[in-house]
Amino acid sequence: MRPPRPVLAVATVAVVFLTLPVIGLAQRTPWSSLGDLLGRQSVVQPLVLSLTVSVAAALVIVVLGTPLAWTLARVDIPGRRIIRALVLLPMVLPPVVGGTALLFALGRRGLVGQWLDRWFGLTLPFTTAGAVVAAVFVALPFYVIAVEGALESGSDELEQMAGTLGAGPLQVLRRITLPRLLPAMGAGVALAWARALGEFGATITFAGNLPGRTQTLPLATFLALESDPEEAIALSLVMLTVSLAVLIPMRDRWLPGRRPSR
Amino acid sequence: MTGQVTGALRLAGTARVGDLVLEVDLTVDPGETVALLGPNGAGKTSLLRVLTGLLPLSGGRLDLAGDLVDQPGSGTFVEPHRRSVGWVPQDRLLFPHLTVRQNIGFSPRATAERVTALLDALGIAGLADRRPSACSGGQAQRVALARAVAAEPAVLLLDEPSTALDIDSQHLIDGLLADGGARATVLVTHDPVEAATVADRLVILEDGRVTHSGSPTDVRTRPRTRYAASLAGLNTLTAVADGYTAMTVGGALVVLGEPATGPVHLVVPPSAVALHRTIPDGSPRNVWRATVAELQPALDRIRVVLDGPLPLVAEVTPGAVEVLELEPGSRVWAAVKATEITVHPA
Repeated sequence: MRPPRPVLAVATVAVVFLTLPVIGLAQRTPWSSLGDLLGRQSVVQPLVLSLTVSVAAALVIVVLGTPLAWTLARVDIPGRRIIRALVLLPMVLPPVVGGTALLFALGRRGLVGQWLDRWFGLTLPFTTAGAVVAAVFVALPFYVIAVEGALESGSDELEQMAGTLGAGPLQVLRRITLPRLLPAMGAGVALAWARALGEFGATITFAGNLPGRTQTLPLATFLALESDPEEAIALSLVMLTVSLAVLIPMRDRWLPGRRPSR
Repeated sequence: MTGQVTGALRLAGTARVGDLVLEVDLTVDPGETVALLGPNGAGKTSLLRVLTGLLPLSGGRLDLAGDLVDQPGSGTFVEPHRRSVGWVPQDRLLFPHLTVRQNIGFSPRATAERVTALLDALGIAGLADRRPSACSGGQAQRVALARAVAAEPAVLLLDEPSTALDIDSQHLIDGLLADGGARATVLVTHDPVEAATVADRLVILEDGRVTHSGSPTDVRTRPRTRYAASLAGLNTLTAVADGYTAMTVGGALVVLGEPATGPVHLVVPPSAVALHRTIPDGSPRNVWRATVAELQPALDRIRVVLDGPLPLVAEVTPGAVEVLELEPGSRVWAAVKATEITVHPA
């Protein structure tokens, strides 16, 4: 079938729209002094922090999100639809609102935060752990949605088979369900990690903007834009490179789209 | 209540799957092989799922290896993983992410030695480190069977095991099944020849109920339903062959079209059994004296059930019945050409 021209034309516009900002960035990049810019502490520090925070968030998300996705997909709990809506809420909530909500819940005088502070001496706002919490809050739904979808569409006949062979529920989960879920978990982690890396609003609201502790790449970029635009460009390029370096190798194996035939 | 239970499997219960209501009474003894036959949608696969525990009973009780495992009335239900049942489903359900060896050794009850022995016995040792996707249909079937048997179940359930099997796989699988010891086997099949050759007993399931349970000969010669009559199409005789002749368990000597040795099953299509009032001459070399036991109309033909040294069923036209003046008690000669007899190693 010959592709209809209007469709191709609109698709082209969309591609241009998506790549134009990247070209704009490249065009304004001070390539000669880039090496010097990239070596600056004000660039290296947010980069290291962003990687730390996003990777830590991704780990927490896998640990929390996998049982959550499994429960939502497989357990007939009352009010499941409401619980699912609550779980997905951070996807549609403006991140600043999320950060504010986190502050009222986990802040020093927050609903739960005051007890964390009083009993464990644990304070989340203005700490790296707080930045991780903010990233987990906004990125967790992306992971849950990817993994839950795979669990629902996946037939559980193989799990039944494993049961008849003498494997108990936990063994079935460990030896059949999880190994077969790995591709979906990979896709979910990629999406959630990317979301965590780009997190801005909830982080600055809840965790603040302390260099070396909570000032991640997006925060540093936004601030540099006013004081030192060239540094902002360097920071943006760093984020672009990190994202592409992680997402391109994953694309073929884990991201939705053209899958290798099984 | 438990003391009276005998057999590897004792089921008297009901279960529901959609519109179908299963209401089954079935006992299988240790070491016995039962072939479960029935039209599509009769509930054969559902019955197997009841035995595995994947489909709970809604009434009645099920005992496996002497233990009560399902009785809704008393709230008893033993989960599938705590039952000693080996299941080979029709679509095999091999684990795609595990190797052949890991598949066969999947059960916590399977030992490494047993897995290796099964790989060798079924001729799949060369595939041990491959994934199921690299196996042919026959090989995959062998893996599925080995996986079920490796757990040493008290009851083995096979759902259409011979569908699209190559002859090598068929022989290897038959060998493994024959060597089951005290294991009880329930075999779902569409193939009356397989049923008659492998099974000690046939159970006919129609519309969720057992309509007939008996020896292959019993079901063939006295089918109780239209379905049983249709699948009873073939005569199957157990015999011991020695070259071009074979001696049946009934003591009749049969001349074969192909040489064979040892225990065999002889399959004779009823249409190949010719009936005569006087002893025929000419090419048929197998001629036996027989008495007509029963006449059964079967569509445009008449099935003539014979008593004699060979319990055969002949299929003749209504015209032939008239000409030969056949009625129960008639003495006839039954003739079969040696080339019409197929020989299956037992």
